Amino acid sequence: MHLVTRTVRRPLWLAVAVVAMACNAAPGSTEPPSKVSPLEFTVSKASQLKLTGVWVAVGTFDDPAGPAPWSNTPWPATPPFTDVGRRESARLADIKNVVPCQPGGPIFAMWELGLFPIEILEAPDRVVIKPENSALPRRIHLNRSSHPADLEPSWMGDSIGRWDGDVLVVDTVGINGRTRGMNGVGSNARVSADDAKPRLPVSDQLHLVERLRLVADGEVLEDEMTITDPKNYTAPLVIKHYWQRRPDIEVLEYVCGERPRSEDEVNTK
Amino acid sequence: MRLLQAVIVLSLVAARVAPLGAHHSFAAFDRQKAVTLTGVVTEVQWNNPHAWIQVIVTDQKGKQTEWGFECGSPNMMARTGWSRTTVKAGDKVTVVANPLKDGRPNAALVRITLPDGRVLGPGDAPPPKPLK
Repeated sequence: MHLVTRTVRRPLWLAVAVVAMACNAAPGSTEPPSKVSPLEFTVSKASQLKLTGVWVAVGTFDDPAGPAPWSNTPWPATPPFTDVGRRESARLADIKNVVPCQPGGPIFAMWELGLFPIEILEAPDRVVIKPENSALPRRIHLNRSSHPADLEPSWMGDSIGRWDGDVLVVDTVGINGRTRGMNGVGSNARVSADDAKPRLPVSDQLHLVERLRLVADGEVLEDEMTITDPKNYTAPLVIKHYWQRRPDIEVLEYVCGERPRSEDEVNTK
Repeated sequence: MRLLQAVIVLSLVAARVAPLGAHHSFAAFDRQKAVTLTGVVTEVQWNNPHAWIQVIVTDQKGKQTEWGFECGSPNMMARTGWSRTTVKAGDKVTVVANPLKDGRPNAALVRITLPDGRVLGPGDAPPPKPLK
């Protein structure tokens, strides 16, 4: 069996190597790759890579709103829950139901009270948001105007964007409905005034529309979110969150599952 | 004095617990109670999702208890004055922390006083940059 495996694999390996060498054979060539179609996209000049950079959310656990005039909209104290939403909120508030290191989804990624920065990278056909707290990036596609017809549910969903003047309008659907609540760590941790509010679940029916724009001479990023989730809420939630441009800060590695201690572990190291 | 004295101060003043955003709730910690403990560091677990500082605390009767103090993530701590070598095994430190509600010797760190007198928090958002 071992010999057979080797004899089968070697030609394949050689073939890959030959192709790779051929591709690298003409480093000075200006010929475009022949089989790659030109990307179809339109880019507003309003972009100009203005969003690219590292951003830290305003607000702390002591002061979730952050300083005026760019203060975060508080999460609702009495959300317009459906019956399902109310039950789901209670489930998320029960610490026994906290799933360790569950990804936060697109809303939680954009709300972290400054604890985890985000990095925004702009390419001609997309904007990529890499939150420090998540291995999963948000990819906002600028080169298509609709979501795929048969969308595979995912943690971050499918995002498409277009520039409306100086505003990047981002439309997100297709999340899997298994993320943490949009406003916190998935439990009633009670670490700030905002965290004492009801958990806000997010279902697979989420339709998130964001309007991202720069304010304060480009030093502050405003993310106005209109959150529609008919499974959990009878009316849309509209909030604004603000991020400060921080070229002095690096987005670092964060691995939630590296060495967590469970609720029951005490001094077990 | 060979044995360190443990000074335990119970306070009814609410103290903020360590920030989080990670794997588990801090609801198990009693935010209405703050203990102040002095002891010797035995181990620093500088790891995600949260760092832990293990400290041997000796009470006035000589009984030793190992406490675990939970902090923020190393990233958050690094942005607020910490490094992986800020606290080392053997350091004498004083910690203010919110203990577990069930009485076990684990607590969410609120602030720590280092041997050189510096006082650090558990790792929070970095101080905002002043806007022009």
